[in-house]
Amino acid sequence: MGNQRITARSLFFPFALSFTAGIALRSFADVPVSFLFAALFLFFILLFFAWHTHDKRVLLVSLCLLGSIAGMARFAVSSFDTGSPILATRVGTATIMEGVIVEEPDRRETTTRLTVRIEKMLGDDATLKDTLLVATEPYPEWEYGDRVMVRGKIERPEPFANDTGRVFDYAAHLSVKGIYYTASFATVSLVAKGEGNRVRLALFKLKQGFIDNLNALIKEPESSLLAGLVVGAKQSLGTVLLDDFRRAGLIHIVVLSGYNLTIVADSIAASLRFFRPMLSASLSGLGIVLFAVMVGGSATVVRASIMALLVILARRLGREYDVTTALVFAGFLMLLHNPKILAFDASFQLSFLATIGLIYFSPLVEPYLKRFPERFGLRDVAVATLATQLFVLPFIIYSIGEWSAVALPVNLLVLLFIPATMLLGFFAGALGFISYALAYPFALLVSLLLSYELFVATWFAKFPFASFAVPPVPFFIVAAAYAAYGYMIYKKHKSR
Amino acid sequence: MKHLTHHAKWYVVAVLAAANLFIWQPIFATSGANELTIAFLNVGQGDAIFIEAPTGNQMVIDGGPDRALLRELGAVMPRTDRSIDVLLVTNPDKDHYAGFLDVIERYEIGAVVMPGTHSDTTAYRELEKKIAEKGIRAVTAWRGMEIALGDGVVLRVLFPDRDTANWKTNDGSIIAKLVYGDTSVLFTGDSTKLTEGIVARLEGEELKSDILKVGHHGSRTSTGAAFLALVQPAYAVISAGHNNRYGHPHAEVMEGLEKAGVETQLTADEGTIMYVSDGKSFVRK
Repeated sequence: MGNQRITARSLFFPFALSFTAGIALRSFADVPVSFLFAALFLFFILLFFAWHTHDKRVLLVSLCLLGSIAGMARFAVSSFDTGSPILATRVGTATIMEGVIVEEPDRRETTTRLTVRIEKMLGDDATLKDTLLVATEPYPEWEYGDRVMVRGKIERPEPFANDTGRVFDYAAHLSVKGIYYTASFATVSLVAKGEGNRVRLALFKLKQGFIDNLNALIKEPESSLLAGLVVGAKQSLGTVLLDDFRRAGLIHIVVLSGYNLTIVADSIAASLRFFRPMLSASLSGLGIVLFAVMVGGSATVVRASIMALLVILARRLGREYDVTTALVFAGFLMLLHNPKILAFDASFQLSFLATIGLIYFSPLVEPYLKRFPERFGLRDVAVATLATQLFVLPFIIYSIGEWSAVALPVNLLVLLFIPATMLLGFFAGALGFISYALAYPFALLVSLLLSYELFVATWFAKFPFASFAVPPVPFFIVAAAYAAYGYMIYKKHKSR
Repeated sequence: MKHLTHHAKWYVVAVLAAANLFIWQPIFATSGANELTIAFLNVGQGDAIFIEAPTGNQMVIDGGPDRALLRELGAVMPRTDRSIDVLLVTNPDKDHYAGFLDVIERYEIGAVVMPGTHSDTTAYRELEKKIAEKGIRAVTAWRGMEIALGDGVVLRVLFPDRDTANWKTNDGSIIAKLVYGDTSVLFTGDSTKLTEGIVARLEGEELKSDILKVGHHGSRTSTGAAFLALVQPAYAVISAGHNNRYGHPHAEVMEGLEKAGVETQLTADEGTIMYVSDGKSFVRK
């Protein structure tokens, strides 16, 4: 390290990683502001020292210190907001409020969940801007941008235990999205339509038209699965099927995953190839951003989008795309934007763990699958599945406590067909805008593929040993498991 | 691309095989000839009954409480079938029509039979609005009305025989009898003992049916002893959700059915319950 050249990358990595560590620390422990100032003072001393001695190790330490201070400070700023005190006085009482639906409605089988930005409240002149999660009847249907009147009892989200005895911190989970209050069994009535962001409104309309086409052409539950695969539609498969997908270890494909987004990004780039390079790159970038907004920007989607954009950027600048840099950069940007996702957003956690597993753990797994046929990319899928499954396993056991024993064969049987399913599904939905007759052959083909995928999931889920419930495990075991994984990756890296 | 040209003939075979599958799939999917299929769909706490005549004409009586209907229809209808001939709403309570709100969006509907009673909820108004917007033919059920599904399968409306506009929704529920050859099914919606009494006086012995869709999810408001004695069903089906908050079916109704020697099944226990008739007798599928 001592006489290595200082590059932007060698400065950015330690800073970004210590920034992450600072956020992690501050997520669970309250660090007083005075401590942060003291640490900042120490940083300046170290920096001064590094300046004079030209010792790069001191520079590195000071950089890590600065990173972790920044991380802790960033989290502290984000935790100022805990919901408006006006609503706090109304907790437990029935209240009539007016606000705008700011996210796409989450339509479950028996209820619909609306994210409503509350602006005013009956019997109070104060202007509010609290976000309320409202559970209401599935009918009538609501849309993003609707101004609505909500009548319901305001509640604070409470933690609850899942089937395997793990306590789910629902309040922390919702706080990631800036939601501190809920209202269940609420009655909602329409005031006006079409508020909210113009671009999002247009994109959601396009997406709904696309989904309507699929729904008109393909039966349930195939159409719901397809809408989830292609445009990340929050349209529920129903609890029974979702449970089957969980047991079969296939739940990750139900909502648009990073893998799906990568396929979409590649397709967008490929279809724009005939333009001049600059135009093609700009259009691809714009397409990916618009698509990410349209599908609702979960942490997984944002991560995959940033990485896909970096691929395009690297190609445009004539530089080599480095996946580690892309991953760290994506994580840093996302944490800078919302530091709460590190500790409380399962989508962020799983997405990053799975990606790390895919990139760094695959080389460790591959030698054991040399016997696997290479045909149709079968081995690649097997390696990727096994690597990600093994890598996320400790986390899954810790947080969810359910482990699918059939995940590997199920993923092998299903993932191979996902690109074809998405492509055919895209044509079915897109051609549906022109004519259903034109879209029909594609809809038929894709519905067969979907039936097959559903069959695999439900068939494997029926096995009594398909999934195991694991009793709660202490955190240090998980930490030890990841330390071991880290060591294995490090050793493999050294030996090359 | 090289891979594709190299194995071109296998791809052609695969595509042709897949195409063949398509062409034959609807044929295989349709039930055997001359059979009437009746499926009491597993939609949770609510009613939804799918009927397919030997001709392939289809009818759905009640839409269940939510989107579960879509999934259940997907399971009993062929993949390529995107139309339903008749929908019937026995009464304007949510657990009897809500699923239709989505069905109307996704399937081509021939006609809708509506009850004589009304509901002022936003969801029901939404249903009426959607029916009007799509230009679907809507008729109000009336005693004497017959819906012929082809090959001698007929649904006869037994009630209402009068204006029920201001009645309670359950009291005004449509009662209808489906007849195919020697076999018959009695659909009762949420009819109460009051309605049962009216129909019993009008029909008498004619009420006798092989299968009874037990009124109001097995609630004690329905299925009176006198009514049951006239219907004399061999089988009864109760469409209710598992652990529903109303406690349906009620114990006294179950006892009454047992005393009358009726073989009773619950969708809550068995999921979708399907019967097939060849015009002579019903067989459970």
